[in-house]
Amino acid sequence: MKKYPLGEFEEIVLLTVGVLYDEAYGVAVKDELEKRLERKVSVGALQSALRRMEEKGYLNSRYGETTNARGGKRKRYFTMTAHGKAALAHAKNLRQRLWDDIPDIALDF
Amino acid sequence: MLKKLAERFFRWYCHPDFYEDIKGDLDELYLREDAQTHRLGPDAWLMIEVIKLFRPALMRRFILFPYSNHLDMFINYLKIGFRNLMKHKAYSAIHIFGLALGLASFLLINEYTSFEKSYDRHYADSDQLYRLTTDNIINGKLTVRDAMSFAPSGKMLMDELPEVLSYTVTHKRGSTVFRKETNLVDEKMVLAADSNFLRLFNYPILAGNKDQLLVEPYTLVLTESKARKYFGSADPIGKSIEVLGSFNRPFKVVGVVADVPENTHYKFDILMSLKSIQDRIERDNWNGFNYYTYLKLTPGADVVAMQPKLEPLAKQYIGEESNLYFNIQPIEDIHLYSDFTYEPEIHGSAKAVNFLSIISLFILLIAWVNYVNLSTAKAVERAQEVGLRKVVGARKQQLIGQFLVESLLINFFGALAALMLAQVLLPQFNFLVGKTVLTSVLTNTAFLMKLALFFLLGTLISGFYPAFVLSSFKPIGVLKGSFSRSKHGTLLRQVLVVVQFAASLILIANTIIVYRQVQYMTGRDKGIDIEQVIGLENPSFQRDQVDQFRSKYKAFNEELDRLSGVEKVGGIMNLPGGGSSDISSNAGGVRIVGVTDIIDGTVYINAVDEDLQEALGVSLVAGRNFIEEMASDSNAVIVNETFLKYLNINDFESVIEEKVQFGRDPENDMFRIVGVFKDYNRTTLKNSVEPTLFYRSRIPGNMVVRLQGDDPKAAIQTIENKWAEFFPDSPFAYSFLDNRFEKLYVEDKKFGMLFGNFSILAIIVASLGLLGLASFLAIQRTKEVGVRKVLGATTGSIIMLFFKDFIYLLLVAMVIGLPLIYVSMNGWLSNYAYRIDFPWWAMIVACLVIGLFAFATVGFQTYRVAILNPAKTIRYE
Repeated sequence: MKKYPLGEFEEIVLLTVGVLYDEAYGVAVKDELEKRLERKVSVGALQSALRRMEEKGYLNSRYGETTNARGGKRKRYFTMTAHGKAALAHAKNLRQRLWDDIPDIALDF
Repeated sequence: MLKKLAERFFRWYCHPDFYEDIKGDLDELYLREDAQTHRLGPDAWLMIEVIKLFRPALMRRFILFPYSNHLDMFINYLKIGFRNLMKHKAYSAIHIFGLALGLASFLLINEYTSFEKSYDRHYADSDQLYRLTTDNIINGKLTVRDAMSFAPSGKMLMDELPEVLSYTVTHKRGSTVFRKETNLVDEKMVLAADSNFLRLFNYPILAGNKDQLLVEPYTLVLTESKARKYFGSADPIGKSIEVLGSFNRPFKVVGVVADVPENTHYKFDILMSLKSIQDRIERDNWNGFNYYTYLKLTPGADVVAMQPKLEPLAKQYIGEESNLYFNIQPIEDIHLYSDFTYEPEIHGSAKAVNFLSIISLFILLIAWVNYVNLSTAKAVERAQEVGLRKVVGARKQQLIGQFLVESLLINFFGALAALMLAQVLLPQFNFLVGKTVLTSVLTNTAFLMKLALFFLLGTLISGFYPAFVLSSFKPIGVLKGSFSRSKHGTLLRQVLVVVQFAASLILIANTIIVYRQVQYMTGRDKGIDIEQVIGLENPSFQRDQVDQFRSKYKAFNEELDRLSGVEKVGGIMNLPGGGSSDISSNAGGVRIVGVTDIIDGTVYINAVDEDLQEALGVSLVAGRNFIEEMASDSNAVIVNETFLKYLNINDFESVIEEKVQFGRDPENDMFRIVGVFKDYNRTTLKNSVEPTLFYRSRIPGNMVVRLQGDDPKAAIQTIENKWAEFFPDSPFAYSFLDNRFEKLYVEDKKFGMLFGNFSILAIIVASLGLLGLASFLAIQRTKEVGVRKVLGATTGSIIMLFFKDFIYLLLVAMVIGLPLIYVSMNGWLSNYAYRIDFPWWAMIVACLVIGLFAFATVGFQTYRVAILNPAKTIRYE
């Protein structure tokens, strides 16, 4: 069992939630992701990633205010948990160590 | 429209916790430019997104019925059921083991009975195939029914009757000697058949031109295994095999067919073309019916309606004066229902098959009854649970469901155990029935399907009543504690115990009776002494070398008589201990000239030499034996007692030197009676001794050798050495006469064995149930027992008190069971010409056995309760 199970797409979503900090609800995250990735992201892929990570404990969520644009429906805001941060740090460290271990000559183009 | 659909779909599958915010997101996105300008329109965009959202992480928990907890309840029922199983391990074991035994034996017997019923159903048009047989009707009374028919009758019927599409005439040759390289092989299963045979009976033809099979004289068709035996892996087509005996010439192999399956009444290893015995057919013509004829009728032909048309044809072709009539029977019925004379093989018995089916049903029913009994008896234990469930809102249907699930669980384990049991018992079972009915139950889908079917059926049958009883408790009653003993199902329980007792009684008594009858038949004095007597088949010889053979035969006989291991050698045409059809007969009427009128009906004919009487130990009741030197004895005959009784003659001495004449023509040959043999049984004791006439022959077909001394093996070895000296071209084949008789009872013994074995199983299952029931009832009454003991009851009196309940049931069972035993077994015994008197003691023994069993089971269980210290059992209230 991996200590921090985290898929690649999940990792990016988690990072984006972090970037948006207090404003991370579904549509906002989608917009931010699409801007940064420069590609379309489907609601389904995003939402299932969010829920999965909530289940794993990387995210918390709370309901926000209602707006008329949403037909009176509340937004759900996601925030990163400490466990989520640890998972990101773990992923980053892993990559960093790999970067560090690449011999210079391999990167010498 | 599409938007609505998408929203509905989403609402339907989305997890309720996630619905609000995701739907909000969708609504927000729907109004944006991206969605509004989608190339299929905004609604399609929504639909696509909704479909993409259809992911496990976002779905609600799917169960078939929304807003219900059936699945959870089902899982809960399983859990509770399993806990109950574990809590009462002994009772569960009784249930499961009983069900397993019941199911396993039921299914195994079912395999056997369906195998027996599958005979001759494997041909393409088996429902259109019929056998032509011959009935002997004297003065309107059907006497002998013969499985054979006249050779020309098949063709005649096809020409005369539109219903007959085609026919085949065959002749069962019995043993024929073939030469395999330098060895001689006595082939027992040889048929002569015409070219239609393989068209009516469509055995797969593996080699040869299928239009040319059995057309030419002196050609053979072999079964696959015989082809391998004679030619190994080489192609047999066009090769020759030498056939000895009356043919003594090579036969050409023209075809190979697949081996004949076991469930065929007319088996063969080798077919020879019917034209090879053309001379014999012409000789017999309309004079002798020695042929098996099969007809193929139009689909749906009505045999009963055809019968009137057959009668005038019989008159026209067989003869005005004749007693013989045609009869047509479907081949599918032959194995189980036809017991004519000259059946080609020992046939099965529909009665035995039905008997077995009934036993197997008994066993299964008993096992189911056990479950019903014990679960209703134990209902009281579950009463509080039921009450509580009802109080918190369980409906009756739900409770029924719960208890059905428990029954499902028990039956499931029972079925699993049955499967293993059947697999383990299969070899013994195959041995018991003498046929390989199944090779493995695990790979047989039909068996597994049946198992599944009866598992479900059993679940419903055994589970429904207890479920109904348990679920109908009133919560107020059971929870207040006033409810202590279940009155529910007491009557039913008693009825079921009576049924079990009665079934066990019947099975025990019947087993004893079948066993006694078989023992009686093997042990009965047959009128001849067959201990240490062997039969030898005569060597074959050429027709034109009779004289030469006769002197050689005589010399051989004299040589044998001189051997120290041989007491006496005689000759007889039909060896004792053969099948019921292994004898010749004459149905043309017979009389003693000047003494009796012509009596119609069948008399049987055998031939013996003058030494037979001594060799076989037959007694003479009147007159004398044949005398070798007396030339006038060439037309002498000896008759048996039954023959004279048949002609209404009681003074045997009076007919000596009188003359017997067959047929109606006064010019026919007459035979002088010189002696009267005491009756002896030549075949199974199912048949009575037939009226038989023995004429004299010097080479009657078989030798009967009475051995003497302590070493029959060595004696047979010396005989074989002599044989090889005299007849190097003929195989030496001998059989002990007592073994031949034993073999006649194979079917009866099998029946007895099956009956016995499965009766034991049934009784085991029944006593398992009784054990459970008795122990439970005893434990129920623990306090009552305590109080009784305090007031002075002894252990013995308590046991008797409890046993009394069962005694009444046992008595009722006897009242029901004993008449059934009498009716069924007296009927069975009446099949035998020589039968035991109805053994009343068998009923008494059966009652005693059951009584003892019941007493032991009930007594033991009660004893365990009765010895408890009342101070402990009535301490708490």
